[in-house]
Amino acid sequence: MLRLYLLMVCITGICAGGAAAQNTPAPPDAQAYIIWPGDGQVIEGGRLWVRMGLKNMGVAPSGVSTPNTGHHHLLINVDPPPPGEPIPNDRNHVHFGAGETEARLTDLPPGEYTLQMLLGDADHYPHNPPIASEKIRITVPPY
Amino acid sequence: MNGLTRLLGLGMMAAASSVFAGDTPAPPDAHLYIGWPNDGEAIDSCQFRVWFGLRHMGVAPAEIDKPNTGHHHLLIDVDLPPMDQPIPNDRNHLHFGGGQTEAIVEVSPGTHTLQLIMGDKDHIPHNPPVVSEKKTITVRC
Repeated sequence: MLRLYLLMVCITGICAGGAAAQNTPAPPDAQAYIIWPGDGQVIEGGRLWVRMGLKNMGVAPSGVSTPNTGHHHLLINVDPPPPGEPIPNDRNHVHFGAGETEARLTDLPPGEYTLQMLLGDADHYPHNPPIASEKIRITVPPY
Repeated sequence: MNGLTRLLGLGMMAAASSVFAGDTPAPPDAHLYIGWPNDGEAIDSCQFRVWFGLRHMGVAPAEIDKPNTGHHHLLIDVDLPPMDQPIPNDRNHLHFGGGQTEAIVEVSPGTHTLQLIMGDKDHIPHNPPVVSEKKTITVRC
């Protein structure tokens, strides 16, 4: 019976997460979303504040393992990492491990960008289920 | 003379903030604001979402002791509490000790005020206190 249960869990896709080093649960109704800018927004000057929204869950700095919390990551021009892997820390994966809820982006060269939020747990692993926003596109016109 | 006056002013401000604020320092440029609703907003529902905006500072759950963090408190229809004591916990002072950065609030029909204030791990305002502007809204339902 237990084996059957595990099999069912694996079929529903949670098995992959379960195999990871981290498996921090997130509330099933948690939702990350980019409050601003909107999808398709044109950003003059290449400078903006990205306002990061989170429903039914809380923010905590990295290293803090309070239940139902995480910290924000902003993915720029990149897809989320594979399930079970920590979120990289580079120019395309910006960490907000101090509990920040807004991201200041400056000096973005003219061009097209994608932005997506992904919540990480105390150790920068995505939750189970992963809490990611929709991916939006912004345009920085020549300046 | 001008410089002396300014110096005296700064001294008084420093003295005032040390008396009327908690012990947890906040970044001097921390900026707290209500992202929505706007001041003067007329809302056709007695239940609505309030966005908490915070710049140059981070959010942490209550009881977490990390520099330059705090947790949100939403003051409804009430003035600021004493700055050197824990923020009251009642219907007019909503605590978000889980690190929440937005809330659905429910109020009665009529005019209401909303204001945010950060509290440290012990729910005491920072030094200097991190406080938003107070907004007045009208609710119909």
